[in-house]
Amino acid sequence: MIKPPKQNQILFLLTVGLLAWFVPGAGHFILNEKKRAIIIFAAIVITFCAGLYAGSIGVIDGVNAKPWYVAQIMNSPIVAVLGRLTATGNYPVYGRPNEIGQIYTSIAGLLNLLCIVNAVYIAHLRRTQAVED
Amino acid sequence: MSAVTFLIATFTSPENISTNPQSILWLLPLVASIAVVYKATKVPTIKLGSFLKETVLLFGSIIVFMIVIALFLCTLAWLITE
Repeated sequence: MIKPPKQNQILFLLTVGLLAWFVPGAGHFILNEKKRAIIIFAAIVITFCAGLYAGSIGVIDGVNAKPWYVAQIMNSPIVAVLGRLTATGNYPVYGRPNEIGQIYTSIAGLLNLLCIVNAVYIAHLRRTQAVED
Repeated sequence: MSAVTFLIATFTSPENISTNPQSILWLLPLVASIAVVYKATKVPTIKLGSFLKETVLLFGSIIVFMIVIALFLCTLAWLITE
């Protein structure tokens, strides 16, 4: 059975959003915005890795630093795996490395949120224009 | 130590970053990243020259704005404490 167009569009937007969340830049990639996707992927992954380098994976702390964790998980669901790993308390980090690590990883997450919203918006615009044409 | 062990070790132990004024320089790569991603979502078409120009302009604007705010806050603190 063929789904009605509106339901199809919601499914498409959801797919774009989820892909963009799973891999930074993937949302733009499937919309054929390859240059944009590569730039977004490189910038977000480098920022996130710089944060982990500065403060270690211990900066991802879903127990004692929940607000930071909410921003960090916008990077990718992989952050949840790292969160489970650090929940054991084997990777303690304090002071300036912790601050810098948390800021870098959280900003990377918020930038990815911006990219997710942007990818979904572009997908919505294209679908709307296609229907109008 | 193998390369893989070294790579994993860099992400499992924090770097030694002291609280001296130089540590504020950690701000620069973050601002660059913000400028790159923001411009990547905003420019209509990505062409190397114009994209770089727009990114550098935004990067510079953010840095200048932060310096102005820092100077304003320093002056305010000086006026209050003097």
